[in-house]
Amino acid sequence: MIGALRSELTRLAQPRLLLTWFGLMALFAAMVNTIMVTFVSGGGSLPPGAPGVAFPTLAQMESPSGLMAGLAAASSMFGVITLSFWALATATDYSSGLIRLLVAAEPRRWRLLAAKVAALALVTAAATTVAAVVNVLVVMPAAGTAGISTAAWGTDLLNVVVSAWLHLYIAVCVWGVIGLVIATLARSAAVAISVGVGYLLVVESLVKMLKDVPSDWLLGTTLGAVASGGTSAVSFGAALTLALGYVTLGLVAAGLVYIRRDVTD
Amino acid sequence: MSIITTTRLTRRFGPITALDGLTLELPSAGVIGLVGPNGSGKSTLIRTLLGLIRPTEGSATVLGSPITSPADYAARVGVLIESPAFVAGLSAHANLVSLARLRGLPLARVDAVLAQVGLQGRDREPVKRFSLGMKQRLGIAAALLSDPELLILDEPTNGLDPAGIVEIRELLRELGRNGRTVIVSSHQLSEIEAVCDHLVVIRFGKLVFSGPMAEMLKRTREHIDIAPEHVADLDRLQAALTAGGWAVAAVDDVLRVTASISRSADLNRAAMAAGITLRRLELAQDNLEEIFLEMTGRTDGELASGRAATNGTVAA
Repeated sequence: MIGALRSELTRLAQPRLLLTWFGLMALFAAMVNTIMVTFVSGGGSLPPGAPGVAFPTLAQMESPSGLMAGLAAASSMFGVITLSFWALATATDYSSGLIRLLVAAEPRRWRLLAAKVAALALVTAAATTVAAVVNVLVVMPAAGTAGISTAAWGTDLLNVVVSAWLHLYIAVCVWGVIGLVIATLARSAAVAISVGVGYLLVVESLVKMLKDVPSDWLLGTTLGAVASGGTSAVSFGAALTLALGYVTLGLVAAGLVYIRRDVTD
Repeated sequence: MSIITTTRLTRRFGPITALDGLTLELPSAGVIGLVGPNGSGKSTLIRTLLGLIRPTEGSATVLGSPITSPADYAARVGVLIESPAFVAGLSAHANLVSLARLRGLPLARVDAVLAQVGLQGRDREPVKRFSLGMKQRLGIAAALLSDPELLILDEPTNGLDPAGIVEIRELLRELGRNGRTVIVSSHQLSEIEAVCDHLVVIRFGKLVFSGPMAEMLKRTREHIDIAPEHVADLDRLQAALTAGGWAVAAVDDVLRVTASISRSADLNRAAMAAGITLRRLELAQDNLEEIFLEMTGRTDGELASGRAATNGTVAA
C-alpha cells in the first residue's frame, strides 16, 4: 500500500500540474480576499443564492476569525479547482492508457484507488496551505487600506488559522472525491469538470432560488458550511456528517466501478 | 511445464465473441509468437490473462496460478500492452521510478533497464518529447523492470527504425535464451519468423495453430517464378504450361509455378518447346506471411468479422 502511495505521489509530482493547481488556489485566494474586503467595507451584501461565494458581514470581518474569512468565502471556488485536479489525475490514467500498466502491476485495484485518494489528499493539503498563506498575505494590507479594523485578528491566532485551514481542507477534499468519482464513472476529466462546475453554478443556484425547497442538504451549501465551521442554518457537525455521507456514497460507487470494470482502454 | 494454459476460454462483448472457447497450452522458456488478423482476439487474450478483463466462460492459468487471482503472478510478469502509456509530463526515469515503487522494486533496477533498452542519457527528458520508437523502448524497459519470468509484449517493434528493430530482435532472442518466456504479439510476421521458437495463430477467437515455428515452416511450399523475355508472351506461356500439367498462377508480370527446384530444367524445356525464351527463372519458397495468409484468409480480419457478424455468424 505504501508502495502504491509513493508511486502515485511520484506521478503527481509534475511541475506544471502542481504549479497550475497551486497557482490557481493562490490566484483565487488573492482575488476573493481583495474583492471581499472592498465589498464588505462598502457595506454591500450578496443576493441570496449567489453562486460560489459567501461573504461575511463587517462585524464578522472585524472579529478574530476575520483574518481567515476569505478561505470560507471562496470555499466553493477552491472546491471546484480541487475537483478539477482530482478528476484530471483520475481520468488521465484512462485517457493515457496508463491504467493498463497499473492494474497489470497491481491487480488489487482497491489499493490503487486508495493510494490515489491518499496521494491527492496529501497534495490537496499543500494546495490548501498555499491558499491559506496567500489569504493572510493579501487580506492584511487589503483590510488596512479599506479601513476594516484588524485589532482583533491576533486573538487566538493559532486556533483561528488551524481551524480555518482544517475546515477548508475537509471541504475541498470532499469536492475532490466528487471529482474522482465522476471521472472514474465517466473516464473523462472534461465531463467531471463540466458536471462539477455546472452543478455549482447552475443547478445549486437554481434550487436555492426556489423558496419552498430546502437547500441545506445541497453539496455546495453543505461544504460551504463545513468550510465556515458551521453557519446559522447548518451546524458544523450536521454539515460534516452529511459531507462524510456524500464521500462514503461516492467512494463506494467509484470503488465498485473501479474494481469490477474491464480495463479495455 | 506450461507457462500458460487456457481451457475453453470465452469472452463476449455483446454480440461480438472475441474469444471463442480457446484451449491452449504454451511451453515455458523461449520466444512465442502470437499472431492473428485484426480483431482475431489477441488483445482480448492478453488482457484476460493479465486480469484486466474477465472471461465470460472457461478458465486459464498463468505461471500455474488461475487468472481469477492475478495478484499471485503479477510480480512475475512484465507487460507492454498496445501502445506504451506513460505520464507525458514526467521524465522516462520518473515514470519508471513510479512503476518500480508500485511493484516494490529497488530503484537500481530503473537504471539497469534503461541501459538495457539503450535509453540511458535521454532518461531525464520528459516523455512527451520522445519519438514513438523511444516510447516503445521505454515500454519494453517498464516490462523488464521486475526481471520477470514471463514477458508479454504487444507489437514491441512498433515505431522503431530498422536499426532499432534489429536491436530489439536481439534483445528478445537473448531474453528468450535465458530461461525466460517471451510472448510477442505482432503483425510483423517477418519479425515473428526471425525471433520466435513457438507460434500461436488465432482467428475469430479460435486456435488455428500452436506449435514449434519449425513445424509451421514445414508447411512452406517451393515454387519457381519465371518470366518470358517478352511480356507479350506471358499469356501464351501460361497456357502452354497449364496444358502441360504445370500448376501456374500469374503474379504481375511473373508466372508462379508450384514445383520444386529439381524440376526447373523441365520447366525451362517446356518454355523452349513453346518457342519462348525465359529471361528469369528463380526458385522461391513461401514465407511465414504466405502461410499465415493461407491459414487465416486474405481479408482484413476486422472487416471479415464485421461481415460475419452482419450475417449472424461467428465474429471476432
